[in-house]
Amino acid sequence: MLTAFVYTNSFSEVRVSFDVVSAETGSEEGVPVGTGPNPISPEVKELVWGAGSFIVFLILMRLFLVPKVRKGMASRYESIQADHEYATSTRDGAQADVARYEAAVAEIRNEAARRLETARQTLDKERSAKIVEVNAQIASRRAEAEAEVAAARAAGQSQIVTAVTAVTTRATQIAVGVSPDNAVVTRSVQQAMEGSRS
Amino acid sequence: MIINSILSFEFPPINELLRWRDVVPGLNKVGLIAIASALIGTLLFLSAARKDPKVAPKGTRNLAEVIVEFIENNIIMQTMGRDGLGWTPFLLTLFLFVYLCNVPGIIPFIQMPATARMAIPMFLAVLVWVVFNAQGIRHQGPIGYFKNLMFPPGVPKALYILITPIELISTLIIRPFSLAVRLFANMLAGHLLLVIFALLSEALFQARDKILIPIGVFPFFMLVFLTGFEVLVAFLQAYIFTILAAVYIAGAVHPEH
Amino acid sequence: MEALSKIVTAAAEAAAGDEKNIAAAGSAGFAYGLAAIGPGIGIGMIFGSAIESMARQPEAAGMVRTTMFLGVAFTEALALIGFVVVILLKYA
Repeated sequence: MLTAFVYTNSFSEVRVSFDVVSAETGSEEGVPVGTGPNPISPEVKELVWGAGSFIVFLILMRLFLVPKVRKGMASRYESIQADHEYATSTRDGAQADVARYEAAVAEIRNEAARRLETARQTLDKERSAKIVEVNAQIASRRAEAEAEVAAARAAGQSQIVTAVTAVTTRATQIAVGVSPDNAVVTRSVQQAMEGSRS
Repeated sequence: MIINSILSFEFPPINELLRWRDVVPGLNKVGLIAIASALIGTLLFLSAARKDPKVAPKGTRNLAEVIVEFIENNIIMQTMGRDGLGWTPFLLTLFLFVYLCNVPGIIPFIQMPATARMAIPMFLAVLVWVVFNAQGIRHQGPIGYFKNLMFPPGVPKALYILITPIELISTLIIRPFSLAVRLFANMLAGHLLLVIFALLSEALFQARDKILIPIGVFPFFMLVFLTGFEVLVAFLQAYIFTILAAVYIAGAVHPEH
Repeated sequence: MEALSKIVTAAAEAAAGDEKNIAAAGSAGFAYGLAAIGPGIGIGMIFGSAIESMARQPEAAGMVRTTMFLGVAFTEALALIGFVVVILLKYA
């Protein structure tokens, strides 16, 4: 192919030509320089070989190779699709399980909360009842104590009155010589005590 | 003083660049590349088809599936819609064959895109032409197809004088011609660019005059850059060829309403 | 500088040699240059519009890209036909 010429001397036209791939080009001795196939018109042998190899290639591809490769691709895509669908369904199932589990958990949690609430309410009720009861007891105790105190005071007062009456009666007897009427003395003592108290 | 060691660099004629000796009679390098392309494509898909499709794809199976999905998503779905998925084998073969014929243009020591010769692009373009016309006739009937072709609906009647010959020529002649020429000329132009810079840098590196030797670095860098560019072009041309085939077939199957 | 002067001398001598060939090559190059103007502008416009629409609607980028490549393919064909015609002029 690559036939180039270096003219070492353009006057005498001593030509040093070198064929880069002279073995292939067929520019052997005897073939005049500048000949070759017409660069545009097709050569019959090239046409035949090109057409023949293309047609064989086309028939092989059309009948066997492309359909087989295509079928393989389609089957793989289908299997991938099936796997994908399986994965999707599994994931959906798992998600449903998770949802169910979460629903159950929520239910149990609600139940627990409800029971807790009930227990708390019961407890509150009991506590308030107990408080009321205890308050009532306390009140009754206090009332009793107050009654006792009042009784004791009344007893003490009557004793004092009795003692004062006795003293007053004796004193009056000693002073006047006449024992006064007991009822009058008692009433006057009581009046005096109530007057001093009030 | 004798003026010698001048770098007089003569670019060889293009036809000389394209002259290949037959490996065996009737089979030259371009034919060999075409056979190798078909073989590589077949082996790739054979190896892919033999692997277990259920496990995650890797290696050749992954590559084959990437190509299949590229064709389906980026070419068929964009131009033909879901109905066109039955065209996957044809367009896939077209794409792979064109690409594998383009790519030797940048592989070192092969460096000849098989599509830089007119034979393969012309055959493929004619094939696409036959396929889309056959599809049009099959789906719309011969009369309906040519009626839609020559008298596209939604055009004022008076314009048919202008439009009918244009449409006829553009669909039946320009389409296959431009399809073939686009691929062929792109690859040939890329090949010539690479050859020019390869020859220039080689001539400069081997120059008698030592001053010229460092200058050879520039065309060499250009060569490397253009090789990278040709990687893109090889893919893009295969893609464009396939997508145009898809557009033509889609247009014939579903006429514009 | 020495190399440059040598090249210039060689070029001048060559020019004296085959003027016709040089004129043919020049016109072929000129023809291809003319053929490349329109498609160059067209491809620039296509890419510019495509980039703009992709920037405005990134979600439509796939569709825009496909259509862009189609447009580039149709436009580019003109330049490539120019290239082929140049070769044709020389060899056909």
